[in-house]
Amino acid sequence: MQTKDINENIAWAKINEDVLRSMENPRMGYWVALACCIAMISVAVVAEIYQYQVGMGPSNLNWPHMWDLYIATFVFWIGMSHSGTLLSAILHIIQADWRKPIYRFAEAMTTFSLMTAGLFPIIHLGRVWNMYWVLPYVSDRGIWPNFRSPLVWDAFAITTYLTSSALFLFIGMIPDLAICRDNARGWRQKLYTVLSMGWQGDDRQWRHFRKIYLLMACFLIPLAVSVHSIVSADFAMSIMPGWHVTTFPPYFVAGALYSGCAAIITLFILLRYFFRFDEYMTIPIMEKTCKLTFAIAMVWTYLNIIEFAATWYGHDMVAKELLINKFIGPHAPFFWAMLFLGSVLPFTLAFEKLRRHLPTMFVVSLFLNLGMWLERWMIVTPTLSYSYQPFAWDVMWPSMVQWSIVFGSFGWFGMLFLIFVKVFPSVSMYEVKEMVFHRRHYHSDEVANKLHRRASDDQSGAEPTREGA
Amino acid sequence: MSLKNILENWSHYRQTIEDGGHYEYEHMWGMAIDLNKCTGCNACSVACYAENNLPTVGKDRMRKGQGMHWLRMERYWDEPEMGGEEKEYQERGGSFLPMMCQQCNAATCEPVCPVAATYHTPDGLNAQVYNRCIGSRYCSNNCPYRLRYFNFYSYYEESWPEPLNMQLNPDLSVRDKGVMEKCTFCIQRIRTGKDKASREDRTVQDGDIVTACAQTCPTEAIVFGDLLDQKSQVTKLWKAQQVELGKTKQDKANTELRGYRVLEGLNTDPCVMYMDRVREA
Amino acid sequence: MSGSDINRRDFLKFMGLGGVGAATLSGCDMPTTVTLEEGKEKVVAYLAPEEYAIPGIGVTFASTCQQCPSGCGVHGRVREGRVLKLEGNPEAMNGKGLCQMGQASLQGHYNPDRITQPMARKGGSLVPVSWEDAWELMREKASGTAQGRSAWFTGTVSGHQSVLLAALNKAWGSKDHYVYEAINNAVGESVNEAVLGDAAPAYRLDKAKAILSFGADFLGTWMSPVHFSREYAAKFRGGDRGVLIQVEPKMTLTGANADLWVAARPGTEGVVALGIANVLLSKNQVDGKRLPQAALDVISQYSVNKVTEITGVAGDTLVRIAEYLKERSPSLVLSGDSAHGHVNGYQNAMAAMMLNVLLGNVGKTIEASNSVVFGELKAKRGNSKAMLDFASAADAGKYDVVFFMGANPVYTAPTHLAMAEKIAKVPFKVALSMFVDETTMSADLVLPVQSPYEEWGTSVAPYQPKEAAISMSQPLMKPLSAETKSLGDILLSMLKYHGVKGYEGYEDYYAYLRSELDNMPASVKAGKDGDAFWSSAVQKGFIKAPTKPGSLNINLGDVKQGGYQAGGDYPMHLVPASNQTMYDGRNANLPWLQEAPDQITKIFWDSWVELHPKTAAKLGVKEGDFVRVESDQGAIEAQVYIYKGVHVDAVAVPMGRGHEGYGRYAKGNGVNPLKILSPAVDKKSGELATHATRVRISKTGRSEELPRLGGSEVQVGRRLVSTVSADVFRRTEGA
Repeated sequence: MQTKDINENIAWAKINEDVLRSMENPRMGYWVALACCIAMISVAVVAEIYQYQVGMGPSNLNWPHMWDLYIATFVFWIGMSHSGTLLSAILHIIQADWRKPIYRFAEAMTTFSLMTAGLFPIIHLGRVWNMYWVLPYVSDRGIWPNFRSPLVWDAFAITTYLTSSALFLFIGMIPDLAICRDNARGWRQKLYTVLSMGWQGDDRQWRHFRKIYLLMACFLIPLAVSVHSIVSADFAMSIMPGWHVTTFPPYFVAGALYSGCAAIITLFILLRYFFRFDEYMTIPIMEKTCKLTFAIAMVWTYLNIIEFAATWYGHDMVAKELLINKFIGPHAPFFWAMLFLGSVLPFTLAFEKLRRHLPTMFVVSLFLNLGMWLERWMIVTPTLSYSYQPFAWDVMWPSMVQWSIVFGSFGWFGMLFLIFVKVFPSVSMYEVKEMVFHRRHYHSDEVANKLHRRASDDQSGAEPTREGA
Repeated sequence: MSLKNILENWSHYRQTIEDGGHYEYEHMWGMAIDLNKCTGCNACSVACYAENNLPTVGKDRMRKGQGMHWLRMERYWDEPEMGGEEKEYQERGGSFLPMMCQQCNAATCEPVCPVAATYHTPDGLNAQVYNRCIGSRYCSNNCPYRLRYFNFYSYYEESWPEPLNMQLNPDLSVRDKGVMEKCTFCIQRIRTGKDKASREDRTVQDGDIVTACAQTCPTEAIVFGDLLDQKSQVTKLWKAQQVELGKTKQDKANTELRGYRVLEGLNTDPCVMYMDRVREA
Repeated sequence: MSGSDINRRDFLKFMGLGGVGAATLSGCDMPTTVTLEEGKEKVVAYLAPEEYAIPGIGVTFASTCQQCPSGCGVHGRVREGRVLKLEGNPEAMNGKGLCQMGQASLQGHYNPDRITQPMARKGGSLVPVSWEDAWELMREKASGTAQGRSAWFTGTVSGHQSVLLAALNKAWGSKDHYVYEAINNAVGESVNEAVLGDAAPAYRLDKAKAILSFGADFLGTWMSPVHFSREYAAKFRGGDRGVLIQVEPKMTLTGANADLWVAARPGTEGVVALGIANVLLSKNQVDGKRLPQAALDVISQYSVNKVTEITGVAGDTLVRIAEYLKERSPSLVLSGDSAHGHVNGYQNAMAAMMLNVLLGNVGKTIEASNSVVFGELKAKRGNSKAMLDFASAADAGKYDVVFFMGANPVYTAPTHLAMAEKIAKVPFKVALSMFVDETTMSADLVLPVQSPYEEWGTSVAPYQPKEAAISMSQPLMKPLSAETKSLGDILLSMLKYHGVKGYEGYEDYYAYLRSELDNMPASVKAGKDGDAFWSSAVQKGFIKAPTKPGSLNINLGDVKQGGYQAGGDYPMHLVPASNQTMYDGRNANLPWLQEAPDQITKIFWDSWVELHPKTAAKLGVKEGDFVRVESDQGAIEAQVYIYKGVHVDAVAVPMGRGHEGYGRYAKGNGVNPLKILSPAVDKKSGELATHATRVRISKTGRSEELPRLGGSEVQVGRRLVSTVSADVFRRTEGA
């Protein structure tokens, strides 16, 4: 049974208008939001400058906690980036139409998450100014990075993923940028003219476009899976108890999809409300997103249980003690919070009444993401607190410097996203039109016949239609 | 490098480092620490501070866990699972364990450094290259013994007010912030010893090179030497205890011998052998 | 060192080498390509180089560590004119080993808080003055002092400095040289003197098969720990492994290495010894023929049950100890601080000595010390009675001028002694010191002395019963400050000023030492003479003289023990524990030692209060809580550390912190438990009874993270270090 995801009576022009209107000069609320984001970034910048000058000490990092929130947040942002790939690429391949109104901002989210995540491997270094040594370049000394290290794989994976996602986002936007070009004046027109690359919307261009799009989607899916698997290899390739877990690649990917979906719900609700995209980001689509999130949450829960079970019934006493410490030790409140938010809270997504109630979903999605952030923290820190050598056991809590920078990263993401929604169409106009087109053919032939013309149609006397490309 | 060459010598290239791999080891520096003799006096740790320009960090930073003790003297109390019964007092005293970088042959820290700032030398040492380190701290996280220490601050700004800085050993550097460091088996002394031997046109003899900790130990509990030198004291001790490199579980003819390596089941292949402490009952 | 203003001859003299050929220098790390023959010069092109100091290659010189009274020989590695590292002198009694105090003594030499100029009190505070002004002040205030109205208050002194000091004191007509050490073996020495006729016999740990120690921390702070550690590890714990039993109220380093650690009620150690003797005589059938009847009578009164009641030590434990002592012979019974520091300390030490006599250890593991030809160089050992005597003398206004050197009584004296006030009664106080410690702060004139690594000197270790070595001190580098003088030079100047006969001909202390060594008896010089003897002495780091063996007679005293008294309002026993990290407080200005975790508790930079888990549970405190330890003399507050290495009724607070001066590393850190000691003395010897104070503890409500290194204190079953039984050890590694 196909739900009525979108109203098939929407006119093409209306779609253009609605979306283009969202890009008009912003009202006060937007500027306030942007200012908040910039304030958050400033806090982080101040903290980072302090840390750059003085050393890593102010972050409360110590022996044995050599990693803490920076790495946890890094993994969190990488995880969030899987949202776009999931919606753009995976759902595209299985021809899930309902993704069409929402995949654009999801794809943008992917790119910006990666841009945020990419900051952290730089910030957490002791000698930030030498960070480019991780990249393989021909140096006089003939020194290359250590290709055996998961951190170097990270460098490759993330740059590849970022490049590909950005490219995918851009390419997918070309037809829309052409629409923008045709309706813009001033600096915008110049910008869109350049960016739309001479798109005219003729048949040949569309055919090539479709091929490229599909190809990139197919390319991006294994890339996304491998990127987060590689990021999980930061932990899985080590010897530490609690990290040295073979299920980490799928676990991290599941967690990534989970936090990505939750973030989609959050932004979905925000965009729908502020830009009045009610007709495009419809409740049925919301429901489908929630159901998808719920499914992924269950997968994540299952993988969690596997990890606990394998440790509990296994022979590695050190890992088992660590697991018990996670449940009852000093990190227990956060750990239990993570379990609740990650495994119990998603059940709210199983109830239709709750699913359809957007304020509830907004709050729930934020908490789901909080749960996923906690999950990353609970992976990084307890292992370092309770490793093999009991003399080295220690509990450490992050300092304001770390919290500031983590806090600021959300501001950075927010700022990028806010700029995006005003400069680029956050709903994919052409794909919504496709969606409407298919619905018309599927549901009501007469509407289709009335509205859709073909070259072979008898056109005598017909008025030129307003439906544009 | 022809295909034929690779195919013929494949098994040779595949060997792990501890089997000699694709280069011959000149030395394999190792230690034997007798916990029967070790009294836990901590002289080794202070000598290490003196020899290797280790900064004192002060109470607050030390309490936060940002200390720089390359060699730490661990002290454990008896617990029921390890043979001590639940008594009113610590009747068997304490278990002291001096821990310094074990210079593992299959070091877990080496593969994970993104910039190859830590690598295995032909001497069998795990070397830390300070000027290559960018401070990602993965190596320290991956050390199961937690024996790597990070410069969280530029300690040199405060730790050596004049004229304390005149005590600094010019044979090695004072590290800046953002750099990882750890016990090097006094590599500066090894280098000096090897240079002296080559100046005198001979090979390094056992006793030529001694680490600061081994030298200062009042009970001579720490023995340092070349495990490849069959005549060295350390090799004799390893042989006497029937402990061998390259194993995750020693299989000894005499299982009562008390030599062992810490956490060797993790396949780190450390070059430091300990001999269990002894108590009357 | 690379200044071209030092001519070659001066420099060689300075660095302890005469104009001799390279042959005598074979002991040092000397490149053999350099010749020192007169008239020949091999130039090493590096600015204005020293003869044999090749840049980049260290040269080793011998000297003596003075950080504690042990007086271990050290080798200093010198590079480019700076001493960088100390090691033990392999041929000295400590061997190539050096304890953490010796390693850290280098930071005393390079300490940023050293006094670099003389200081005089003007208008209430100490201000820098020149040496001329300093001597002028001395002339004004001290020179005219009447006979017998001056005194010296020092730490352990020995060697030629001691000779000069004695001569100076004699010239001033004074018989008062107070030699004070907070950590001492005075009670033990008086028992040894009384029973054996030898205050410092040789303790042969290397020959013992069982050691029963009543609080003698011979691996940590007792007598000569590095030397004992060597014998302990190589011989005592070697093949046929000996058994170590430690009886004390708080675990010391030696206690942590014991096979059996026993916490007896503080002060009852003598009763424990009697109990063991009782078991030995009755159960183990040891022949009591070596003991006088009076002793046997006393012992027979102390049945196991009675002993358990008095001391809290279980009967099984007493039986076990007796069995060890009987089975593993010869044994050795020692006693130290925690047994001596009571009003009945002498009795406790006597009871321990009784066990030695009973078991026939005298002559086997306790041997006579050998006599030495240079008696006047022997160490004057310190005790705490000196401080008590000095306090009363100063209070009575006996002195017009007092000289302080190498001791810090204002810090270590309990509050009840009112040391600062009594010292203030002395009109003119001179402190010869390296640092502004509490005693120096109360002086009227401060003369800055050089560190042990900047000066010439000789010393004789207080404990070297078999050897007769005079340890040499030589400068390992130029003095860091030109305004400091060596102790020897100051004493010599004063002697010359007073026109004391026999000292006027010496230009400086170095010249005096050269002359004295030249005049040593032929037996000491062993065929060498003049420069050769001097070079060999300085190169080796010591002069070994022949000795004559001594003899011991046994004359056991009264072993009766006092009754155990209840504490009333103050139920707990205060144990002001000595530890190697801070010692008696002198190490508090050395950052390496402040940061070095305490050997037992692993706490650094601060003081703490050790409580048994039962005591802590009763009080309701956990680790890190601040508690108030209050005696009838005052109170201190520090954080709690809980473990089973302290007696249930004891509260152990480490000595050594709580300074009010003494530099940036010492000031304001921790608390000083010596301050709240009650006015108790050992009745027989007059020594300060440091362990006789009763206290009560109460919560303060404050809590902070304890500055302790290390997370878990147990291995959580991980077998990082497990324990092998001694029987297996003897089987697999026994001789």
